[in-house]
Amino acid sequence: MGRYVLQRLAALAPVLLLVLVIVFSLSRLIPGDPATTLLGPGATETQIAALRAQLRLDEPAHWQLLAYLGGVLQGDLGRSLKTGAPVLNEILLRLPATLELTIAATLVAVVIGVPVGVLSAVGPNSALDHAVRLVSLAGVSMPAFLLAVLLQLVFGIHLGLLPISGRSSPFFLDDPITGFMVLDGLISGDLELAGDALRHLLLPTAVLAAFLAATLARFVRNAMLDVMTEDYVRTARSKGLPERAVVFVHALRNALLPAVTILGLKFAELLGGAILTETVFAWPGVGRYMFDAISNRDYPVVQGATLVFALLFMLVSLGVDLMHGVLDPRVRRRMG
Amino acid sequence: MKLGKRQAAALLALAALPAQAQAQSAREIRQRTLVIGVPAGPANLEPGTNRAEPIGSEIILNVFDTLVAWSPPAFSQLEGRLAAAWTVSADGRVFDFTLRPNVKFHDGTSCDAAAVKFSLERTKSINPFMRASFDPIESITVTGPLMLRITLKETMPVFLSLLAQPQAAIVSPTAARLHGDAFSVNPVGTGPFRFRSYRPDTDVVLEANPDYFRGAPQLARILYRVIPDASTRRLELESGGLDIVHQSGQLAAIPTQDVRALRANPQIEVIEVPSQIIRQLEFNNSRGDSPVADIRVRRAILAAIDYDGLIEGIFGGTAERVYGPLTSNNWAFDPRMRDLAPKHDPALARRLLAEAGVQPGQLKLTLYSFQGPLWGAVATFVQANLAAVGIEAQVAQTEFPALRALHVAGRHEVMLDGRQPWYNDPDAHITIGYLSTLADTAMTFRMPKDDALDALITRAQTNVDFEQRRQLYHQVQAQIMERAPAAFLFSPKLIVFRRRGVQGLVVNSAPPLNEYWGVSKS
Repeated sequence: MGRYVLQRLAALAPVLLLVLVIVFSLSRLIPGDPATTLLGPGATETQIAALRAQLRLDEPAHWQLLAYLGGVLQGDLGRSLKTGAPVLNEILLRLPATLELTIAATLVAVVIGVPVGVLSAVGPNSALDHAVRLVSLAGVSMPAFLLAVLLQLVFGIHLGLLPISGRSSPFFLDDPITGFMVLDGLISGDLELAGDALRHLLLPTAVLAAFLAATLARFVRNAMLDVMTEDYVRTARSKGLPERAVVFVHALRNALLPAVTILGLKFAELLGGAILTETVFAWPGVGRYMFDAISNRDYPVVQGATLVFALLFMLVSLGVDLMHGVLDPRVRRRMG
Repeated sequence: MKLGKRQAAALLALAALPAQAQAQSAREIRQRTLVIGVPAGPANLEPGTNRAEPIGSEIILNVFDTLVAWSPPAFSQLEGRLAAAWTVSADGRVFDFTLRPNVKFHDGTSCDAAAVKFSLERTKSINPFMRASFDPIESITVTGPLMLRITLKETMPVFLSLLAQPQAAIVSPTAARLHGDAFSVNPVGTGPFRFRSYRPDTDVVLEANPDYFRGAPQLARILYRVIPDASTRRLELESGGLDIVHQSGQLAAIPTQDVRALRANPQIEVIEVPSQIIRQLEFNNSRGDSPVADIRVRRAILAAIDYDGLIEGIFGGTAERVYGPLTSNNWAFDPRMRDLAPKHDPALARRLLAEAGVQPGQLKLTLYSFQGPLWGAVATFVQANLAAVGIEAQVAQTEFPALRALHVAGRHEVMLDGRQPWYNDPDAHITIGYLSTLADTAMTFRMPKDDALDALITRAQTNVDFEQRRQLYHQVQAQIMERAPAAFLFSPKLIVFRRRGVQGLVVNSAPPLNEYWGVSKS
């Protein structure tokens, strides 16, 4: 398995290079340039030309690409055209917010989605099964934006139980340790901060987890239904094993394989930022940052963020494959 | 940026207090903190890198001071801020300033003539947005510890207006040299509020400067919360999470129906102030082969539009009619424009089209517009007005950079467009918009070569006598209206929502940036 991991890691570089060239080219094909966007409608061509020169946007595209590549090889993802701040720093500043939300949503989705999918599968066409299928259909169909606003209205305004936006109360002093606010509160012993951060995390987590849990429940249900008809499950039953052992020890382990795949893909997607959720809840994650960068034609941010997302996606994909190896000995043998 | 050491020091100081006193202190700070909801974070926080982006510009006006500023509540006269007095030479080229004594930057250094010279020269050299505005500066000379002379290469009556802009605010030379590029997120000025912290995409915190030369502010802090979604800003305002929400840009504005709902909320007051923003349906006036090159066609389009219906139907009273090239609250506005402005007259429109040889359904136009639901509504309304007189208009909403590229290349026939003047002078609308020599240099009205109008505009721009300038701008407006370069549609009001208990807020309109020195919370 070690050799397999090394082979996959070695494949990162050419793939990232290809991603970079594609995103570099595509971003420059979009009409409009950064200087125009940054200076707004009232700007004159003189002002725009001066800014383009300052930002070196008047250099030939291939020189810009080579200069950028040279920087990337030294760990420099360039500077934001809008703020002048180093792109890597800006992404790392926002990544914990996205990771915190993504991890929380994934955990909630797994805790809810897997058992619900299993229960639905072991009693096919029961009242519970119908209910689960209906609710999960609603979960995957409901637009995230609409669910977010509904939760804000119900829990934030009418019931007044949870905050509507942000990662924490703006009056809290926050000196990040890890950037994960709940964790930082616990580490520093500031339970009020930890509690406040947790309360702020609940609604956006619910929005993301709703879709994820519904998707997972459906996948687990379908996978379990397939597995429960397998010969080895019949054999396990005929050996007199308790139904719980049949379901959770023998069937679920095999049903989890496709679920792990879908969970990994969705997790990687969310790392790219749940833009709508981050926007509605004013969550300062990488999704919003990337979206703003595209609107502003902030090329270095678009390029740098895409590289980071691509890297994270490939690492998560590797993790999913390794998890397959853990769950399935046949896969583990093929990995070597 | 974070100030961990200062926070730690503050915490240590607080830790020395009894717990009850700490809680009371925190509560008092919270009660005297003004929380403002904004749709985006600032691009940066200091004049040298500011490009008229609204959030950063407003923060700059509260952290820094300019030499002169527009005097509230009317914002029609300039008053001295860092400048105690000034004189202007007869030819309008030499400005002598006497600065206020004993004014200190937040880092304790003195704000003197040398600091002002450093600041203005620094902005001129590093800010491409200000380069053109400050290019007419021939020299800045320190003539005394608190005396400064600015000499221009040419007469420029608007120069004082430019000195009132955030980009002309005065920075601490010591801090600028110390922080270098990082000064953009560690601003140090003389203003009523000091910079405390900045968390990107989250918030900016300013704290009161108790040593401010005009007197300490009544607020303890200002907290700008970044909340991109307009609905969320509304919910936070209604639930008390925000004290103030103002429209920083049309695309991020709270929709009109939300304005009505907020008006009905007894906890919220809606402040509406006329702006100097102008939105118009403009023609590509330099394209000779365009179907709108015939002035009868242009006048027909002007007569086809239901101006009052647009303002009531789309804006519900949150916008005002614009009658010509300047808004009615501009000091150079010619009251005759109200009579000269076109009226909604579909019969006249059809007659003019017939005179121009255009049959109903023959004229097909692409109506370009900015993106966003508000622009979409305006475009659809205009499209319907034009259809009623037999003109087919296809609406094409376009992202701003692409729209600008289209405009500057002159590939359009008609376009919904507009301008928010970034300095308080008729020159901000007239020169950039209508000078034919600038037709291809910006989002202008693309006026065809017109030596007579250009000469009149230049005379108005450079005349040092205020009343003569006013009369010249009256003539400019009349001549522009004769040429029918656009249908002037509306000027959106500046709308600020504030919770009751916030007192002393006076809304500035040109540009729409607020200062909070005089604001308090009960």
